[in-house]
Amino acid sequence: MAQFSIIEKRASRIADPVERLRFLRLQMREQRKPRALPSWRPAFLIAGLVIMVAIVPLPTGTAETFVKERRLTGSERAAVPSPAPRVWLVDKSGTQELYSNGLRIDLTFAVSNRPRDRFPIFSLAGGPDPMKEGNAPVGIVYHTTESNLAPFEQGENRRLQRLGRNLMEWVRQDRSYHYVIDRFGRVYRVVQEADAANHAGTSIWADSKGAYVNLNDSFLGVSFEGQTGAVDEVTPAQISAGRVLTEMLRSRYGIAAENCVTHAQVSVNPQNMRIGVHTDWAGKFPFAGVGLPDNYSLPVASLFLFGFEYDSVFLRATGARWRGLDLAELQVARQAAAENLETRRYRAILQHRYKDIASALKEKSEELKK
Amino acid sequence: MSHASQTHTSPVLGLDVGTSRIVIARRADDDFCYESQLNAFVAIPYSKITEGVLEREKIPHTVQADQIIVHGNESEKFAGLLNAETRRPMTGGLLDAKEPDSLRMIREILNTMLARHRGEKTRKVCFTVPAPPLGAESSLTYHEATLRQILTELNYQPVSINEGLAIVYSELESSNYTGIGISCGGGLCNVCLAYLSVPIISFSIPKAGDYIDTSAASAIGERANRIRLTKEDSFHFNGFFADKVHQVLGVYYDDMIRSLVTGLKDAFARTSNLPKFNRPIPMVLSGGTALPTGFRDRFEKLLWEQDFPVSMSEIRLAQNPLHSTAKGALVCALSDS
Repeated sequence: MAQFSIIEKRASRIADPVERLRFLRLQMREQRKPRALPSWRPAFLIAGLVIMVAIVPLPTGTAETFVKERRLTGSERAAVPSPAPRVWLVDKSGTQELYSNGLRIDLTFAVSNRPRDRFPIFSLAGGPDPMKEGNAPVGIVYHTTESNLAPFEQGENRRLQRLGRNLMEWVRQDRSYHYVIDRFGRVYRVVQEADAANHAGTSIWADSKGAYVNLNDSFLGVSFEGQTGAVDEVTPAQISAGRVLTEMLRSRYGIAAENCVTHAQVSVNPQNMRIGVHTDWAGKFPFAGVGLPDNYSLPVASLFLFGFEYDSVFLRATGARWRGLDLAELQVARQAAAENLETRRYRAILQHRYKDIASALKEKSEELKK
Repeated sequence: MSHASQTHTSPVLGLDVGTSRIVIARRADDDFCYESQLNAFVAIPYSKITEGVLEREKIPHTVQADQIIVHGNESEKFAGLLNAETRRPMTGGLLDAKEPDSLRMIREILNTMLARHRGEKTRKVCFTVPAPPLGAESSLTYHEATLRQILTELNYQPVSINEGLAIVYSELESSNYTGIGISCGGGLCNVCLAYLSVPIISFSIPKAGDYIDTSAASAIGERANRIRLTKEDSFHFNGFFADKVHQVLGVYYDDMIRSLVTGLKDAFARTSNLPKFNRPIPMVLSGGTALPTGFRDRFEKLLWEQDFPVSMSEIRLAQNPLHSTAKGALVCALSDS
C-alpha cells in the first residue's frame, strides 16, 4: 500500500482535475503491469498464454471487450431495420403478374383455400385474452420444401424441371404455401394471398405491436425449393427472386423487416415446450440476399414470451448459434430478476400463459368447426 | 443547456447515453457545457404541411413512409398532443431489442446532437455504458458495440466508460477519484466503487425511474408518461402525501431505494478483493431519479439501517445530477487525449 500513498500524495498536488486523473490512471496502469521476469520465463509464459487463449472464452459485457465488439460491429450493419420499398403491379394476365421491381409471378398453379380468418394479437405484457384482432398479413415465414433435388447442372435440366413440376402439383394439392420459388428463380403463387395456407402449424412470433400465435392466418408462407443441408441449398436465382418477392409483399402489406423470419424461428412443440419442431432455415437463411437485416439476431419470441426452451439437437441445426437465442434468454433472466423470481419459476409462469392461450384458441377453433 | 463562448473548444466530447436522456458535455475554456435531448420519439401521420412546419421550426424529425418521426425533446409535446406514449430506443439501460426502430432512432438522435460538433477531423467521444445487472447474467456487448459503430459512422473515435465510474470521475477529484459513484437513471441504477481512479466493483440494479413510473402507473391506472411528469414536477419525500399519485410514487421510490441499498450491501459484502481504505470514502448520488427533495436523506437512512461493510465519509448529491455522467465521460476523454 505504501506505493499507493505516494501516488496519492503526488496526485493531491495537481490542481487540474483532468491532469490529476490522467496522472492517476497512468500511475495505476504502471502499478498493474507485471514486473520484469528472468530471461527463461517469457517463453513459458507465452506458451501458457497461447493455451489460455485457446481454451478460455473472451470476456463479455465490459467496456473493454474490444475484440468481440469489432466482430459484432461487422454484422450489426445488417441488423438495422430497412423500410419497406415501394413496389406496384405493372401488368397482369391470366397466367402472370409483373411488378415494378422486376418480379414476375407465375399463376399457373394458383388455387384458393379457406379465407384468412381474423387472427388474435396478444399483449406483450401478459394475459390470455387477445388485445385486438388483425386481418391483413403482418409477416412472412420462409420455408424450404424439403423435396427431392437434382444436381443443379445443365445436364440435369429435364430432371430439374420434372422435380419442380411435381413439387408444384403437391404444394397445390396440400395448399402448403402462398408462394414457391423454384430452383430457376421462378416465383409461383399457390394459395391466394387473401386465403390462409397450411404453412406454419404451431408457431409463435411477436413484434412491437403484440404476439401472434399459430401463424397460418397472420403470416404469408414463402418456400424455396430446396433441402436443408443439401450442397446447393439455394441457388443465386432463388435468392434474387426471394428479394423481389419480399419487396413486393412488404410493400403491399407494410410488413416490418422484423416480421420476415424463418420457419425454424417460429415453430414450436407444445408437447415438450421446445422450439424448432421444424428446422427449415434454422441456419444460413440469406437474409442480406433477400434485402433484410439479420433476423437471426432478433430475440426468439416463443422463448421470452412463453418460456419455451431448446435442446442440443436444435442448436446443431442452427449451425452458428443465433444471437436471438441469447437475447431472448437474457430478456427472460432480466424479467425474472425484475419480478424477483428464479428464472425457472418465471419461465413456468410464461409457459402457463401459453397453455392458456393455446387452449382458448383450440376451443375457438372447435366452435367454428361446429 | 448552457453555451460558453467559442474561444477555445476542446476537441473531445463526453456522451451520456441514458435510457431517458442523452447528454453531451464539452469543454469551452474552463467551463463545462451541456446539451441534452430526450431519448425518445413519436410517430405522427405524414402531411406536407406538418413536414413544412417541422422544417421551419427546426424540430428534429425524419420521414418514414406515411409517417413523420419526431425525436428528441419535442417528441414529448407531440405525444401529449396525440394522447400517446412516446417510444424509446432503449429500455433498462440498453438498446431495446423489441423496439423495431431502436437503432435507427438512436442514430438519428445522436446524429442531430453531434452534427454541430462534427469537424473535418475525427473527434474523440467517450460514451457511457451500463454495468451488468446484479444477480442476472447479461451481455452488454451488443449494446456497446452498436453505439460504437454508430459513433464511428458519424466520424467520431469512440471510447466507452462505465456509467458509475463516470460519476466518480465527475465528482470525486477531491478524494483522488476514490469512492462510490451511483447514477440513478431511467432504466437502471449504476454503481461503481473506484480506488485511485481504478474501478473495483461495478454493477447495476434493474430498478430505477422507469420502474417507479410503470409500477405506479399500473397501480392507479394512469399513463406512465403522466406519472413521470408528476414525479419530476412535484414529488418529494416528506412522509406526507397530498394525493394518491404522490402516495403511490412514495411507495415505489421506497422500494427502489431499498433494492439499491440491498444490492449495494450484498455486492460489497461478497467481494473478496475490496481494497483496504485508510479512511472513510465518499459516496455520490446522481441522475434524474435522485433529484426529488429528500432522496438523499431517505437513501442515507436506509443505508445506515444496513450493516454496510465500507465506512462512508459522506453521502451527497452530485453538483449537477442531470449532467454529471456526461461530465465524467468528458473528463475521462480529456485525460486520455
